[in-house]
Amino acid sequence: MKKIHFLAIAIFTFIFAACGDSNSTSTEQHEHFEVEGWTLYSAEWDTLYSVYRGKEVSKLPGLKVNANCMSAHIHVKFLDENKKEIAGPNDNEHSLGWEVGNKKILDIEWEGGWGFHLKGLKEGETTLILKVKHHDHADAKTPEIKVVVDKALDADKCPFQEDEDHDHEHEHHHEK
Amino acid sequence: MSTSTIMKNSLNRAAMGGLLLGGFLSIAYAQEFIQDLGNSTVVAEQSTETILDGLRKDEELQAEKLDRKISTTIAETIKNEPDIAIRSMGPAAARPVIKGLSGNHVAITEDGSFCGDMSATSPDHAVASEVLTAHKLRITRGPQILMQSFATAGGVIQVEHNDIPFEIARSQGAPTQSAAVSNTQIHGYIADYAESGQPGFATVIGASGYIQRLSLKGELSARNMSDMKTPKGSLKNTEIENKSIAIGAAYTFERFKFGASFRTFYSDYGIPGGFIGGHPNGVDIELSKRDLTLRGLYLPAQKSSDTLSVTFRLNQYHHTEYETKEYVGAEFAVNQENVRIEKFIAQSGPFFGIHIGGEFDIRSIEMGGYVFTPPTNSYAASLFSVASLNGWRNGLEITLSARLGGVLFRPRESVVADKDAIEDRNFALWAIAAEFSQRVAPGKFLTLDVFRTTRAPTIKELYNQGPHLAAYTYERGNHKLDAESGYGAELEFRDYGEIINWRAAIHSTWFLNHLAPRATGDTNWSQILPIYQVSGDDALLMGANASIETAAETGFYAQAGASYVCGFYQNENWSDMPQIPPFHFHGEIAYIWQHVRAGINTEFALAQNRVDRYEQRTPGYITFGASLEFHWSLKLAHYSIVLRGDNLFNANVRNHLSRLKSVMSEKGRNVSILAKAEF
Repeated sequence: MKKIHFLAIAIFTFIFAACGDSNSTSTEQHEHFEVEGWTLYSAEWDTLYSVYRGKEVSKLPGLKVNANCMSAHIHVKFLDENKKEIAGPNDNEHSLGWEVGNKKILDIEWEGGWGFHLKGLKEGETTLILKVKHHDHADAKTPEIKVVVDKALDADKCPFQEDEDHDHEHEHHHEK
Repeated sequence: MSTSTIMKNSLNRAAMGGLLLGGFLSIAYAQEFIQDLGNSTVVAEQSTETILDGLRKDEELQAEKLDRKISTTIAETIKNEPDIAIRSMGPAAARPVIKGLSGNHVAITEDGSFCGDMSATSPDHAVASEVLTAHKLRITRGPQILMQSFATAGGVIQVEHNDIPFEIARSQGAPTQSAAVSNTQIHGYIADYAESGQPGFATVIGASGYIQRLSLKGELSARNMSDMKTPKGSLKNTEIENKSIAIGAAYTFERFKFGASFRTFYSDYGIPGGFIGGHPNGVDIELSKRDLTLRGLYLPAQKSSDTLSVTFRLNQYHHTEYETKEYVGAEFAVNQENVRIEKFIAQSGPFFGIHIGGEFDIRSIEMGGYVFTPPTNSYAASLFSVASLNGWRNGLEITLSARLGGVLFRPRESVVADKDAIEDRNFALWAIAAEFSQRVAPGKFLTLDVFRTTRAPTIKELYNQGPHLAAYTYERGNHKLDAESGYGAELEFRDYGEIINWRAAIHSTWFLNHLAPRATGDTNWSQILPIYQVSGDDALLMGANASIETAAETGFYAQAGASYVCGFYQNENWSDMPQIPPFHFHGEIAYIWQHVRAGINTEFALAQNRVDRYEQRTPGYITFGASLEFHWSLKLAHYSIVLRGDNLFNANVRNHLSRLKSVMSEKGRNVSILAKAEF
């Protein structure tokens, strides 16, 4: 009978020990960057695309690039709840993210900051969703933005050459 | 008067239903009832429960009845029971709805203690319990609800795993009056389930036995199901992978019984994507749950039926939602401890079947990732009692119950929460219920339930303020919310005849401050998610249900049931409440031989056009199915094979309570098989 007592105690102890590990979250909660709209500017600070509270502004040029070519730099700005333009967060926690509908048609070239280049891969139409990435998730995102990739051009005939982009970056200081 | 065997079974159950704790005492009406129907084989000295509760036990899903209905989830398995609907978000995230009430109105317990998960808080959270490991599923109705919950307007789903093998210990332990004593030294079971509608399998294998006064149990289960097939094609990211392990032990020492069990459950399932605001590829959710349960029973020498039980459950629940393989969208860690003390008294004065008890509960919840609810501790305490009496009027039984308690919420500061919203909240809660069951003629019962229902707001309803990616919503709580309360009644008639048994019921609850997340029509433009705001509104919920079945145990069998519920907010237009299931009907015709049962069935739901603001209407549907079962015993083992075909004509079924109904059909044609052996 003593053996059974001992066995019972041992089994109960084992069962109790099985639940001994701690249980806590491995990720932290973070403040998030909330915006109500997005505006995309060309390298010359012409408005290419704008959306506020889900409504896209019509009669804007939109996003275009030729296949085989890279677009000029596109600046990203945000609109707050009062439709006032604000810059993206200036910290190490947030960065620009994107999701391309058809990766065979379009790619994105990003060199840091709140801007990017379109890179046409194949003639056609696709969609682009831009995001404000914050650690592992997105704080904000655009609706699907239509992107047109026009016919392919030889590299030397592309409207934008890479060194031009750098010139524009240095020349233009957006005051909005 | 001649009586069918099934009828006798029902009556025996009615009279003998209290055997679980060895009690049985004085229910003169049970004897009279039995004699009325010509059954003189049962000698009932005393009862621990009313006739009505005994009859309700006949409606529990267990053994062959459970095998016949087993499916992917608990909700799917009980979906054709009276007043039951399913709130879902994919095949894994399915939770039962009772009388149109969901969330915290419906409590789920495992082996008598809370099922520690977060399935009540959000439609994308699955119930952390593997249905194939359930030995019994019971929907608690009436005053008995108050033994587990304040929400008498809803109900309790009781899942029994029997993880602490007291039943085996009893056969070697202290004396008992129970007739349900088993001399079996080792009991084992293995069950396998497979289906085509969501190709994959589920399996469970378990065994229990005893060595002198020590009883042991062990069980393993696994489920692996791929994407669900709908009439529109395969629905991506709906796969389910579950695993569970359970061990338990019970030990008898003189007039004491001690038991412990440990159950771990792990699930990895998908929520489909491609909806407005949702991740294109959906969300993957991993959850794990660990339950440690310790239970002690004391059986007094003078009256071993008058047990005192103490149960402690330590629960750890962890839940992670992945937007992609590496991106954590949301994370929850819940630690909960619950102590429950319950005294059962078979009879005292005019009362019988008395349960008196109390519960104390501490819960801590932490959030991570993209969750906008502050970490919060909560403390809850409650006292409850249920007692029945009779003798005032011939054939009248009365059950009275009450639950009194409170809950304290202590949110902690958090970077994500609105500073003004981090406010301590305290709620005092009370609920009562009374049930009057009158035998109006032999085998005929008229029952009236009246109750006060209540519930405290949840942490999420109070403090949440942000997007919930897996649910594709932006959710706003309200830290100023008051507790929900309401007054209701249910009138039921039951008729147990020679050829058919039928029952019909109507119910109504007037809610004061009914708490529910309602679509506001606004959008959070940062995430492009629809905004849901928790609001408290006065509301009226009404409904009816009826069921009928033949009483024969062999030969022709037919069964049908229907449920309807409607709800209105008190405003100028008496606008419709959201998430109310439409009229639902289920019927079956079968032929039963000694070892074989073959049947065909149909299920239909009418279109739901009574919808809340910004809620979508849902079309109706009709489906047809068939089943073929074999049950036989051979050399101390019992075998079952259940073949079932559901939705055979591949109908496009839309569940009104599915968050994904606008883009997702329910399961299409599905052929399933359950093979089970018990020894």
